Amino acid sequence: MTSLKRSLGPDPYASNVSSKVYVRSTRSGKVQKIVRELYLRQDIPCSSQLCRSCLATAPRDASGILVPFVLSAQPAGTKTYPQGHYIVPDTNALLNALDAFEQTSAFYDVIILQTVLEELRNRSLPLYNRLVGLTKSEEKRFYVFFNDFRLETYVVRENGESINDRNDRAVRKAVEWYARHLTQAVKAAGGKVKKVPAVVMISDDKENLIKAKKDGIDACSLQEYVNGLENADQLLDMVSAAKEWRETQHAKVAENLYQEYFSVSKMMTGVKNGTLHQGIFNVSPYNYLEGSIHVPAFDKSLLILGRESINRAVQGDVVVVEVLPKDQWKEPSTKIIEEETMNKDENADAEEGEAVITEKERRALQEEVKKVHSKSTEGRPQPTARVVGVVKRNWRQYVGHIDESSVSQTAKQSRKQQTVFLIPMDKRIPKIRVRTRQAGEIMGKRVLVTIDSWDRDSRYPAGHFVRSLGEMETKGAETEALLLEYDVQYRPFPKAVLDCLPKEGHEWIVPPSMDDPGWRGRRDLRGLQICSIDPVGCQDIDDALHARPLPNGNYEVGVHIADVSHFVKPNNAMDTEASIRGTTVYLVDKRIDMLPMLLGTDLCSLKPYVERYAFSALWEITPNADIVKSEFTKSVIKSREAFSYEQAQIRVDDPSQKDELTNAMRTLMMLSKKFKQKRMDAGALSLSSPEVRVEMESETSDPIDVKTKKHLDTMSLVEEFMLLANTSVAAKIYEAFPQTAMLRRHGAPPKTNFEELANQLKVKRGIDLRVSSSKELADSLDRCIDPKEPFFNTLVRIMATRCMMSAEYFCSGTQAYPEFRHYGLASEIYTHFTSPIRRYADLVAHRQLAAAIDYEPLDASVRSKGKLEAVCKNINVRHRNAQQAGRASIEYYVGQALKGRVVEEEGYAMKVFSNGFVVFVPRFGIESLIRLRDLAEPEPESAFDAENYILTTSGSRDVKVELFDKVVVRISDVKEESTGKRKVKFELVKVVGSK
Amino acid sequence: MAPSATHQVLLSPAELSYLHTSLSLTPPVRPDLRTANQFRPLVAETNILPGTNGSARICFADGTEAIVGVKAEVEKSRSSYHSYDELDTAGDVDEDDNEGEMGLNEWVELTVEIPGFRDDDPMPVFLAAMLSEALVADVQFARRLYINRRFHWKLYLDILLLSQPLSYPLPLLSLTTHLALLSTRLPKLKSEADEDPLFDDDWEESVFLYPRAPRGAHQRPPVTLLVMAVKDNIIFDPCKEELAVAEAVLAVSVGERVAGDAKEGSMEIDPGKGRRDVRVLAVRTIDPPSRLTHPGIPNTQNTATGGAAPATMEQAANQRETTEEEGVWQPPRGGAQRKLIALMIQRLLEPGGVAEEVLDGLDAVELG
Repeated sequence: MTSLKRSLGPDPYASNVSSKVYVRSTRSGKVQKIVRELYLRQDIPCSSQLCRSCLATAPRDASGILVPFVLSAQPAGTKTYPQGHYIVPDTNALLNALDAFEQTSAFYDVIILQTVLEELRNRSLPLYNRLVGLTKSEEKRFYVFFNDFRLETYVVRENGESINDRNDRAVRKAVEWYARHLTQAVKAAGGKVKKVPAVVMISDDKENLIKAKKDGIDACSLQEYVNGLENADQLLDMVSAAKEWRETQHAKVAENLYQEYFSVSKMMTGVKNGTLHQGIFNVSPYNYLEGSIHVPAFDKSLLILGRESINRAVQGDVVVVEVLPKDQWKEPSTKIIEEETMNKDENADAEEGEAVITEKERRALQEEVKKVHSKSTEGRPQPTARVVGVVKRNWRQYVGHIDESSVSQTAKQSRKQQTVFLIPMDKRIPKIRVRTRQAGEIMGKRVLVTIDSWDRDSRYPAGHFVRSLGEMETKGAETEALLLEYDVQYRPFPKAVLDCLPKEGHEWIVPPSMDDPGWRGRRDLRGLQICSIDPVGCQDIDDALHARPLPNGNYEVGVHIADVSHFVKPNNAMDTEASIRGTTVYLVDKRIDMLPMLLGTDLCSLKPYVERYAFSALWEITPNADIVKSEFTKSVIKSREAFSYEQAQIRVDDPSQKDELTNAMRTLMMLSKKFKQKRMDAGALSLSSPEVRVEMESETSDPIDVKTKKHLDTMSLVEEFMLLANTSVAAKIYEAFPQTAMLRRHGAPPKTNFEELANQLKVKRGIDLRVSSSKELADSLDRCIDPKEPFFNTLVRIMATRCMMSAEYFCSGTQAYPEFRHYGLASEIYTHFTSPIRRYADLVAHRQLAAAIDYEPLDASVRSKGKLEAVCKNINVRHRNAQQAGRASIEYYVGQALKGRVVEEEGYAMKVFSNGFVVFVPRFGIESLIRLRDLAEPEPESAFDAENYILTTSGSRDVKVELFDKVVVRISDVKEESTGKRKVKFELVKVVGSK
Repeated sequence: MAPSATHQVLLSPAELSYLHTSLSLTPPVRPDLRTANQFRPLVAETNILPGTNGSARICFADGTEAIVGVKAEVEKSRSSYHSYDELDTAGDVDEDDNEGEMGLNEWVELTVEIPGFRDDDPMPVFLAAMLSEALVADVQFARRLYINRRFHWKLYLDILLLSQPLSYPLPLLSLTTHLALLSTRLPKLKSEADEDPLFDDDWEESVFLYPRAPRGAHQRPPVTLLVMAVKDNIIFDPCKEELAVAEAVLAVSVGERVAGDAKEGSMEIDPGKGRRDVRVLAVRTIDPPSRLTHPGIPNTQNTATGGAAPATMEQAANQRETTEEEGVWQPPRGGAQRKLIALMIQRLLEPGGVAEEVLDGLDAVELG
């Protein structure tokens, strides 16, 4: 028997066709072999402006337009490459130093190979996205060269060659080709060979560099390259510490401080069959050694106590945990543990004898264990868990400042590289070990760093320095820090977005001719007496109102909302940008707009005396505030006046004002009160959160005073009608699009959220807090009155608010109808419709309403459930961030306003721990902690009665603080060491008590 | 009973008789002048279908051609043997404990497609049964598909005859399947113990279903060969014409045991000589198409040649039963003798026999 192997025949196209084979595992557990055919081409341009041959063959689009060539004809030179050079980084170089590549001082004319780009995507998606962003920016001249599709640079994987080796070889081959190609191009153009720019491969892989040398390719390591640049120190700091770190660690025999993570498959199997749990890791803001994780399997969160159990997880990471045996269950701590007090004088460079748990920490933990034991009858230990693996790191860039004690005095001046600790502003993030040459320079500044890695043998994560934001406590640096911390997009709008604005700019007017397409389907409401009521100085006026009596004794009331959807069409660059920003962010001295200024403060804004497009909701309402009929229409309006709340209030209260506008406002006021009463009867909550306003000096805009906001009736006037509009629109769009309506819900808080507060009220005041429905809660909150203490009710409301769930946007198809309820407003269905200038959700609601009234067809993007869900998810996050950024901004300015002042104020004990208590001062709307050690020196002895919430101290100072006690505190400002924030510091003057 | 393999043979009784006679000679004279043990030349190649886990194509000299593709899928094992609480993700599973359950027949699904036949026609079904029977008769086979106690690979073998079934296609399909399985690779497992399986995404890292030993003596899937007998002559790799006069046809599946594998029961074969340790996995008798041929009519019964035709059908049959005339075709009747079958198998297995030759030949096929 004979057999032959038939060889593949002489295929004329064989050299142009190749294939790529890999294994794909799908989510459902299928494993597939995937073969992709590659068709190699020769017309992929090198994109150098020196080259003419590529220009001739480069593919053009359907209209014959060529993508302009990116790489400069005269690239910058360095000492080693005076003739100029193009940079070709490999994957490691980008992984380690993308921050450096983003700098504007160096790294121009960079060729990103497809091989590298794809490898980067597999290694780190966030870095990949940043790199793609870089390649799109024109000024940096980054060019993606599809080397795996070009015949000359395509590399076939050899037998037994690993993928990494193959990719390295592909990079070298591409570099080689580029060098040859450019020489030819220059020669063909008659240039001198000396003038040909060098093509330099940058790699951090030693072997790759050696091989490159052998092949005669220009190559150097990242460090070498950066050293040849001007601001080498600054750039070198941006190179990830991870690699160097590992090298130094290997020199010593490193001791592993943390347990190794489980393998991915082990975690996934565990999660699937329920022995392990996956969730997002959260650190307690009071105790950096206590984390919690909410997993779908349990109602209550699992506790993660101690550094060892936390096992290198960082706030926000998606982790997998294992529940610890029952004898290790504990109660959540009643103690405040802050990192800076625990591990004050550590040397960042010292590695020896570093235990994960310092003695002090261990002692703190022991005390807690003791307490659990002593109270075994009463205390309910909570299940604890241990992190066994990280599914996804959610590391971002962190703002913080250098721990001065970690910088050695001698090194302050020198440029020697040293390791310092960076203390992040966010207390939940551990200290980050950063290697830098600029320790002296960046001390006392707000700096931005990223975490690169956290190895088992290192107690703290290692990171690298990105850039400095400026001196601490300067307005610019602090504001930018805030925006970065809360991930607020604050860069100016890109050109693509501005291109979407109407060409007329500020000259744009409502077309005078009613035949204009802009008038199609619009009702002419210019004759109505419409006015707007907003806070002082408001520029982006979203809403305006009118009311007029009807002949039948009823009233016609109209809410007119800026017609933003007329200007922002779905799926253009502006819409995309707005959907990413999600909301306008209000800081004390700054507004970060969701939409460009032109729209927000002019074209959309319902300014007085000019005609504007609007989206109107009109109702016929009886004098008893029953709605007879409602309709929605696009319209053109002309606002008669823009009032501030105060002005409007004065006008309504002034009986001498008898004009039509004031009467309309009085009608609205009368109706709004009735609406409010109805809502309250239905069980709407009136909750409270401390709100203050920072008064600024008008010229320097330095804060001078803090005022609590005063509530005016006109505010609830506007609020009631906005609620009315939102609720009616929600019902309308849900009726039209039951699957895809953009709605807002507020879940009923689980009972357990109120347990603590209910217990506190019962023990301290004998008040029963009933929480089974919002109506009951509202009623029992009304009963929380202390006759001697008028503020007590507000205090309880503030505390109750913190027990609530947060409201969220959702797409109606994802929830069942009963889940639509808005708990706080006691409304069955709700959405946001009234502020499209500053919220993206409203814009979506506008589009859906416009489609529901057959004004325009519904765009696909607001019709797809999946897309809407993604939008909701994003804007929920943005919304929360914006709120937090706003609050943080107020907090900062309150601190600044109090700077250098000492004030004595009344406050209330809001929370009592075993070693301190939290005091809330309503005058400034701030709360702060008073620790035992702040009371007196030395720290007084203390006894904590956890059942009755009483903390008694003795020894150096005798104090008895109970929960809800009125206290007098001396407020001064102090710069907080841990976060570098200027914060108010409270000192206890006396306990007034309240009983 | 096996269904008719080929379409009705279109040969006259005289031609059949001629073939029969020449095949009964010593040594037999085969229509294509091969020796009794000689195989027809074939063209083989592997890995012709990039999307499969393994594939092969074989083309016989008579123009019959087959391709086989092997696809593997991860499948959850039936959990009847294990409850979840004894699930062990920590490692150290004693694999010998559950040897018996480690392979099940339904882990292989084999379909045969032959042009002109429906997939529920007896012939493809019978061929598929025969091929998979040989495959799972090898205990080692199912064990190769074992991933862990909760998961296993399921193999889908798609066997496709490209040409008309000119001769009985069993050997062709079997050899092609054999090569396809030899070239089959499975993604490399990364997870441990009873975890949900996780695989390396690098295809280059994938492992062969039948791992290659460095010295070439690797394990291999079974081969099913066709042996026929005419009188006492044993003829291998019969072509269509030869089958038309076969008196007994056997499909013998043989497997090879690697020297290291044979721990016990290998006394009768001396392993030291570098010989292959070939053993029978399955034997099936196949009903030869010769039984359906029409008999020749001897001159004595032919009126055209002066004979007297029998009056009734019954008579004719009776007379034919007794005539043993040279040159008159008589379809074979009755089964083969045990001795003959034993001899056929022995000739296949004996050292230097046909099985070895075939396996040597298959070894020569370069596996891509």
